[in-house]
Amino acid sequence: MEQLPQQLMNGIWQGAALALFAMGYTLVFGSLDIVNLAHGATYMWGAFIGFVAVTRLGLPLWVAIPPAMLGAGVIAILLDRLAFKPLRSLTVGGLVLWGGFLVFLLGVVGHWDNTIKTGIAVVGALVMALGLLLDYRAASPLRQRAVPPLAPMIASIGASIVMISVAQGVFGAQVSRFPPRLFPTAPFSLPGDTVIAPIQVLVLALSLLLIVALRQLITKSRAGRAIRAIAWSERTARLLGINVDLVIAQTFLLAGALAGAAGVLLGLAFNRLEPVMGNEVELAGLTVIIVGGMGSIGGAALAAFLVGMIRVLSVAYFDSSFRDAFVFGLLILMLLARPSGLLGRGRVVRA
Amino acid sequence: MNIRFLGPIIALTFVVAACSPSSGPAAPTATSVPATAAKPAATAPAAAPAAPAASPAASPAAPAPPAASPAVAGSAAKPSANLTGEIPLGAIWSLTGGAAVYGAVQKNATEMAVDEINKSGTLGAAKIKLITEDDRSVKEGAIPAMEKLTGQDKVVVVLGPTLSNSAKAADPVAQDRKVVVVAVSNTADGIVEMGDYVFRVSLPESAVVPNTVSVTKNKIGYTKVAVMYGDDDAFTKAGYDVFKSSLEKNSVQILTTETFKKGDTDFSAQLTKIKAQGPQALIVSALAEEAAGIMVQARQLGITVPIIGGNGFNSPQLAKLAGPAAEGAISGAAWFISADAPGNAAFVKAYRERYNSDPDQFAAQAYAGTNLIVTAIRNAGATDSKSIRDALAKLKDQDTVLGKFSFSDQRDAIHTPVVQVVKNGKFELYK
Repeated sequence: MEQLPQQLMNGIWQGAALALFAMGYTLVFGSLDIVNLAHGATYMWGAFIGFVAVTRLGLPLWVAIPPAMLGAGVIAILLDRLAFKPLRSLTVGGLVLWGGFLVFLLGVVGHWDNTIKTGIAVVGALVMALGLLLDYRAASPLRQRAVPPLAPMIASIGASIVMISVAQGVFGAQVSRFPPRLFPTAPFSLPGDTVIAPIQVLVLALSLLLIVALRQLITKSRAGRAIRAIAWSERTARLLGINVDLVIAQTFLLAGALAGAAGVLLGLAFNRLEPVMGNEVELAGLTVIIVGGMGSIGGAALAAFLVGMIRVLSVAYFDSSFRDAFVFGLLILMLLARPSGLLGRGRVVRA
Repeated sequence: MNIRFLGPIIALTFVVAACSPSSGPAAPTATSVPATAAKPAATAPAAAPAAPAASPAASPAAPAPPAASPAVAGSAAKPSANLTGEIPLGAIWSLTGGAAVYGAVQKNATEMAVDEINKSGTLGAAKIKLITEDDRSVKEGAIPAMEKLTGQDKVVVVLGPTLSNSAKAADPVAQDRKVVVVAVSNTADGIVEMGDYVFRVSLPESAVVPNTVSVTKNKIGYTKVAVMYGDDDAFTKAGYDVFKSSLEKNSVQILTTETFKKGDTDFSAQLTKIKAQGPQALIVSALAEEAAGIMVQARQLGITVPIIGGNGFNSPQLAKLAGPAAEGAISGAAWFISADAPGNAAFVKAYRERYNSDPDQFAAQAYAGTNLIVTAIRNAGATDSKSIRDALAKLKDQDTVLGKFSFSDQRDAIHTPVVQVVKNGKFELYK
């Protein structure tokens, strides 16, 4: 029991990073009813963009985090336009985007000379940009229908596989690591015989900062109000003149950026980047949003700390093999006792 | 907020969970591949003073002249080998995935050995054709690789696979098809027991660890230790078993035993528990990736005692992966770079010139394994698997870069191990 303060400290900073990751999940789920199982892959790509920024471009850490967030946000927007939007409204632009995407993929993973590959990738990227534009400005879609609830989730599984495979093609399947002396390593001593490393402090601080910033954005700003309006009722929002398409893109940008930040931070903290690193955190994140209450940001934050704590304490006091068992046990318990989650609202019947 | 599809979500979550973290097709979690394979590598440079006696089975009857690769003290008179044509030699290495640190150097060493052999005309007019496969550090990759090499490519000998875990799954395929397998980095138990076509060049943990424990206990004088091991890999588990029994034999108390899995990134819970117990040393049976994570996090938490490990530590990559946290890490090894074994200096020089980096234990073991195979082919004067198998089994007291090497009656490796420590990012003999 005497290690409890240290174990709690271990759980707190990991819970904070998990909360950051879960924010994006719950944002997309709350406003769009989409379970985005490619969120983990977005997180992984954010980590790798940060890795490339630090190792190949030689940027210092502080400068590397914003591009990682932006890059992951853009990837999330592309994810929506490629995997989710065609399900609800297919436009010519969407088809052009897909064509461009396939060409771009060929350019990235093909077996030709580097110059040819780059050329193809650039052409693909240009066609994609054109497709995005056309898709955004589409006056009338080719096909529009109500989306069966599971369809986006299944599409996201496929998207996740594609994203992981591309990462394996680009970075290789083995583990990549940040250079060792990027960050001071001497741990800080705290009362209660606990220590915390500087990187863990950074993770905790930055996560809390971003969560608070997100909350401010959602509650106070115009874009945030639009997101909440769409979460309440998409049709009403449209009637009120909100540009739903744009706001959806903004939502994904936000969610992706948060996942990217979480990716860089946890990638740094554990210094272990591999294309499959999103899988483990994704399952924990799913548990977090269900336990916290779908669509509730405060609930997700609360549940994330809870899940982070459970993950650490279950290994501390039981066996490491039981970590996932405890997390899923919590999930099942929550579903049995209170399906709407800790802070989720019950199902509201709208007239 | 739509609860009606909660059920399907949960079901799909479990499906995704079942597919992804474990060895999914697209994602080999960093497997502790080198497990068995990397371990026993011939350690014991002939100059190692405290090396336990080499295999008692080293009969004076010199079985065959040592492989006539330039790196080995070229003394063997070339038998009149009437061999011609191409001899297909297969190799399965973990070139991607969690064990890639080991597989990469094994590939280098084997290619270098084959080139030397082909250039030197050791096999008369015959040439070795090396076919390399990547098992992605998972057994799901090793089995198809073995099937391809032994079936489609019709190789007569297979080197590898890198990890014991993969070997246990893939070697039976070769045994069934009566193709020789030479393990050069498997160090778990149960390898040569898979059949009479399976040979091992790497010293098993059971041969290296007892030496490591007694040497370190004498030097450090610890009586209470904590142990951590990966419970989901054949190599790390085998290493733990041997550590446990060696520690008990040396009257060392094990304060607590913690476990982890391949691909784990967070060891803080286990290490916090360990720190509270106050051990005088930390024993870790892990592969390089996990070992590096453990070392970094142990130092972060303020654990300052020496960290002692098994074969997984023996990649120089460890120092790169763990950075300054790797300083002082102690492990038992099968080979040492400045060892006095015949041909070792030439091997190290040639490897440095060709690959611009130092070879490590796994490279030395792969190199020795290749040369032993060639010696057997020359002795047999034939290129079919059965003859090679019989000739290999008879090899005793061979001069290799690992020292004097013999196969035991069970086709297992016999030579002397060493203990090494990481100093300034490089391995040094532990004194």
